[in-house]
Amino acid sequence: MNASAASVGHDAHGHHGPVLQYQPGLPLSRGKLIMWLFLSTEIMFFAALLGSYVVLRFGAAVWPKPHHVHLSEPIGAFNTFVLICSSVTVVLALEAARANKRSLAKTWMLATLLLGSFFLGIKAYEYAAKFSHGIYPAAPRGLIYERPDLYYGSAVRARLGEPAIIEQMKELNARPESELTPDEVTGRRRLQQVREMAMGADQQAFDMAVIADQVMPLPDDAAGGHGHGGGLNETFPWLQLPIVIPGGNMWASTYFLLTGFHAIHVIVGLIVFGILLLYDLGPKHAGMIENAGLYWHFVDLVWIFLFPLLYLF
Amino acid sequence: MSTPAPHDPAAAHGPITAPGQLAETPALEGDTAAGHATVHGDESHGGLGLYLAVFAALCFLTTMSFFTYSSYWPWRDEPQVGWAFMMAVSCTKALLVVLFFMHVLWEANWKYVLTIPAAMMAIFLAVMLIPDIGLRNRMVSQERALHMARPADVLLLEQAASAAEEGADHVGNHDH
Repeated sequence: MNASAASVGHDAHGHHGPVLQYQPGLPLSRGKLIMWLFLSTEIMFFAALLGSYVVLRFGAAVWPKPHHVHLSEPIGAFNTFVLICSSVTVVLALEAARANKRSLAKTWMLATLLLGSFFLGIKAYEYAAKFSHGIYPAAPRGLIYERPDLYYGSAVRARLGEPAIIEQMKELNARPESELTPDEVTGRRRLQQVREMAMGADQQAFDMAVIADQVMPLPDDAAGGHGHGGGLNETFPWLQLPIVIPGGNMWASTYFLLTGFHAIHVIVGLIVFGILLLYDLGPKHAGMIENAGLYWHFVDLVWIFLFPLLYLF
Repeated sequence: MSTPAPHDPAAAHGPITAPGQLAETPALEGDTAAGHATVHGDESHGGLGLYLAVFAALCFLTTMSFFTYSSYWPWRDEPQVGWAFMMAVSCTKALLVVLFFMHVLWEANWKYVLTIPAAMMAIFLAVMLIPDIGLRNRMVSQERALHMARPADVLLLEQAASAAEEGADHVGNHDH
């Protein structure tokens, strides 16, 4: 059987074996297939993160409002806009490359790179705003306490008893009122009150709530927030007193995990675009642009769900 | 055997080189219109106008979900309405991105094989978390109950805030 098949092949072509008709399993290139397989694992990766966030959030007894954790909805919406723009530019880069408009493709690719970097810059600004309020995912730097209870009170007392803080407070009290801003004058008076309350022997639960409110008030829904400003931690950045955000620790863990993993994906995408910029972006490399674009659109997709879940829920 | 076929490289190699074209290097030998079309059958789809329309729709939908945050949103007291609305908006946006930007609309049926099982796994994954994590506060240890935040704590903080505000007003009046 084999011999006859071989001979037939020999008959047909003289010098070749049998001609095999290649039947591709899927009508797409290998690179694209692998990218889609990778993306389907990514769907599950982010579904696990987003799913746990939703389940943790709705299972929690208390979850902070976006304002309580200093999230700015307009900034988040703007970042969504930036990412959508970058999705459009990468699509246009692919179209340009297929049409053999190499310099145009390069321009769109560069625009994508810049928009992605812009997104990361805004994200970094937001992270910095959280950090400056003492909102970190974990304890050594994170200042968040869940409840205004005695544990919180003792943490405030411990912080106010640190030699460096005592020194700073002495310095503050020694300064004449004319040297201070009006905020600092009222802040100094309030800090004195907080100190007396924290050090006092007879403490009620409400006292702790008053201290927490003075250190960092939970802003109202209204954009203006409270009448009494940003609190002592904002007036005196060196103070770094413990703060109370009910549900804030779990919030910080999920927020930094979700946006952090998303930011890592953005960084990887930017590296890929940076490498692509080194190539000649003609039809020959359109497949590469397409695969990178698929990945980038997926990153955009994740943010489309992250933005409302984190900023607006 | 006695009549060897004339050596025609195109006929002999055509079917075998096709996968090579298909896989990695469409343009290497795909400069001919025919080779190009078989490799990238979906190339002619899209177009600048369509992409810009999708972009406009995405921007509009982002504004819509942002609208729930504005003071004009009529259901401020029932957050569930806003959540449902925002999820509907997000799913629509996701669909637009997947269909048009990721070209899934024009792909063959393999798209279902890859996306539907992954989407189902994703949903199951989230649902499976509900009993242990979503309902974790149904039964908690005494120690955990002592330290976890409760709605009463938020109330206490709000009372403290309004008391402070009154105090500030009082001080302000006193100053005047």
